[in-house]
Amino acid sequence: MRKFFPVEDLARDERFNQITMNDRMADQRTVITTDSRPSRAANRIVPSRGDASDAARGLMHGIFVGEIQALEGAGRTCWDFTTGEEAPFELKLDMARQCWDEARHVEISVKLSDWMGSEIGEYAENTVLFQAACSNDPVLRLAGVNRALEGLAIDVFTTMKEFGEVAGDQYLEFAEDWMLADEVTHVKMGSDWLRKITEDDPERRKKALDFQSVVDKLFSYGGTRSESQESPIGLARRFRELAGFDDQEIDVIAKLSLAALEERKAAVLEAQAAHN
Amino acid sequence: MADAKKPRAPFAPWDRRELPGLFSVEESARRVGAYKWCELKLFEALGGWIATVPELDVKMRLGAHCYKHAWHAELWHKRLPELREMNPDRLTVAPNEHMVCFIEALTEPEAPELTIEKLVGVYRVFIPHFISAYTFHLNNTSDITDAPTMRSLRFILQDEFEDWRDGEMLIQSLIETPAEVDRAAAHQARLEKILLAAGGITGSGTIGFSTPEHEGAIA
Amino acid sequence: MTVEVTPSTFTYVYFDSAYIARIAQRLIGLFGLENHNIRVDINETTPLAKMRIEFGDPIVINIQSGAFEDFSRPRQQSESATTQSLGRILLKVRDRLSPEFANAPADKDLTLVQVAIWETYCVARLSRHDIDINRQRWLYNFRNRHGFNDASDRAFEKIWNSNDLTWEQLQNISDNALALVQ
Repeated sequence: MRKFFPVEDLARDERFNQITMNDRMADQRTVITTDSRPSRAANRIVPSRGDASDAARGLMHGIFVGEIQALEGAGRTCWDFTTGEEAPFELKLDMARQCWDEARHVEISVKLSDWMGSEIGEYAENTVLFQAACSNDPVLRLAGVNRALEGLAIDVFTTMKEFGEVAGDQYLEFAEDWMLADEVTHVKMGSDWLRKITEDDPERRKKALDFQSVVDKLFSYGGTRSESQESPIGLARRFRELAGFDDQEIDVIAKLSLAALEERKAAVLEAQAAHN
Repeated sequence: MADAKKPRAPFAPWDRRELPGLFSVEESARRVGAYKWCELKLFEALGGWIATVPELDVKMRLGAHCYKHAWHAELWHKRLPELREMNPDRLTVAPNEHMVCFIEALTEPEAPELTIEKLVGVYRVFIPHFISAYTFHLNNTSDITDAPTMRSLRFILQDEFEDWRDGEMLIQSLIETPAEVDRAAAHQARLEKILLAAGGITGSGTIGFSTPEHEGAIA
Repeated sequence: MTVEVTPSTFTYVYFDSAYIARIAQRLIGLFGLENHNIRVDINETTPLAKMRIEFGDPIVINIQSGAFEDFSRPRQQSESATTQSLGRILLKVRDRLSPEFANAPADKDLTLVQVAIWETYCVARLSRHDIDINRQRWLYNFRNRHGFNDASDRAFEKIWNSNDLTWEQLQNISDNALALVQ
């Protein structure tokens, strides 16, 4: 088995269809539309939205494939680096623990998808999450996966938990709350390891934090996640604090997400003008 | 009411534990170091394979089992200093070169259509050998002096039996043709021969019998 | 009867207008709408999936491209999604044309609860025409509007198993379910 597994080779059965961020960006409808989500005042996934159940189903499928990739990413960190030399034994133990957690999250997501009436593979699988887990430096993986990706998971699960709460869907609310607890642990794991490994290497720490920033922006693509109601997913400040993000770090992510939303809106206006 | 002053035997009549055991502190530590090395190699492989198997149920099982073996490695890692090995890495080694070869052969399959080989290596070869090694240790060590190791062995054996059953059921569900039966058997035989040369998880004498190196076994 | 699909060729999605017309014709036949001229206008500039009816001659059905899309293969057309979406909206057309639905509010005035009961009724009837439907999806949608409880599920069952409801009956089933949990 090779070290460092390419995203194109992720093994899936025939139900899945994988797309990349480039594929997604090639869909011009998402910018030229006169009825696109960013132009609406409120896009947050809440039960009062007309398409609430379908939007929630779509997001749930996104969570499902995201959990598969998080499972695969944590697993690869167990394998790709030599114990002791490239990655501490204890870090690998944490990654193995994360494998179990992510495997349970896949199981939970499958059960919730059944509950919501979705089928496996009903939506495309964007492989951007695993790409963030492909770095050759374990510290960059921790920054990209445990802090950016799992940070996004905190935001997504909070949004879904609130959705269940408002809709009176206790099944959804219960499961999302449990997953949220795990994700807070994973982010904290990433924050602690990042600090520990780069304690005497400020340059490596800076590189990792810069990488996290890139991934955070990638995951805020189109303002999908921000504190604005125009974004389908909110920024879960309280749970991020629990996970070890300080106020300044959360403010940076908030600004970055809003900037992504504004960039997106500007791109939409430009594309519409060109289209008309 | 019980008489607080009445002397009682330190070992109750039903407590049949014995002081003598087969292993010295050094031998126990050597074995524990080999256990840790093998569990480490196993959880690394399971983690790496997750991305390579297309079957969703197998993918998730590997994720769960990856953690269990990491936890076993952690238990052995923590036990080593208690066995006078203050540098656990020193004893975290393969018992011999054949075991290194075994891990290389075990982790060789990568392609998505080789799930049977991946599972056979783990659940029909490696884990049964873990069960043997752990059972031998549990049944032969001193009930009293090595009780902490025995406690870990019992926890770990519980996991191993459960994982073996999970894995065996996955293999049986994946094998659908006589040709696949042959594939599984051939891979199992290949790996077993290497393990035969290795003498088991802790090398020759893993389960009591000395297994002198037998070059022909690997071929 | 004529069926027209616009545009005839697509720029932003890989849809086939003749294929859409064939599916529409089959459904129109199934639902007894042969006496009407129908035009299907597809807005391919949006990935959303809303549908709207404009009554006149022809009856115009405005459909956003997401309604016909294979979500696992963005921009590709899905036969199943096309059939389900057209089936739902054509059954709604048939309801609107019948006196039993004369009192139904205009589309723009329908509440989310009313949208859910009507959609459920349409999809349920569609499923009896050998069209593959994920019942759980619609149950989930119904529960989101009526609550996650037994009364809601009983109302859903009643609508799901009915073929000849009037708007008032549909509304009553929904009202009763909501009243039971308040």
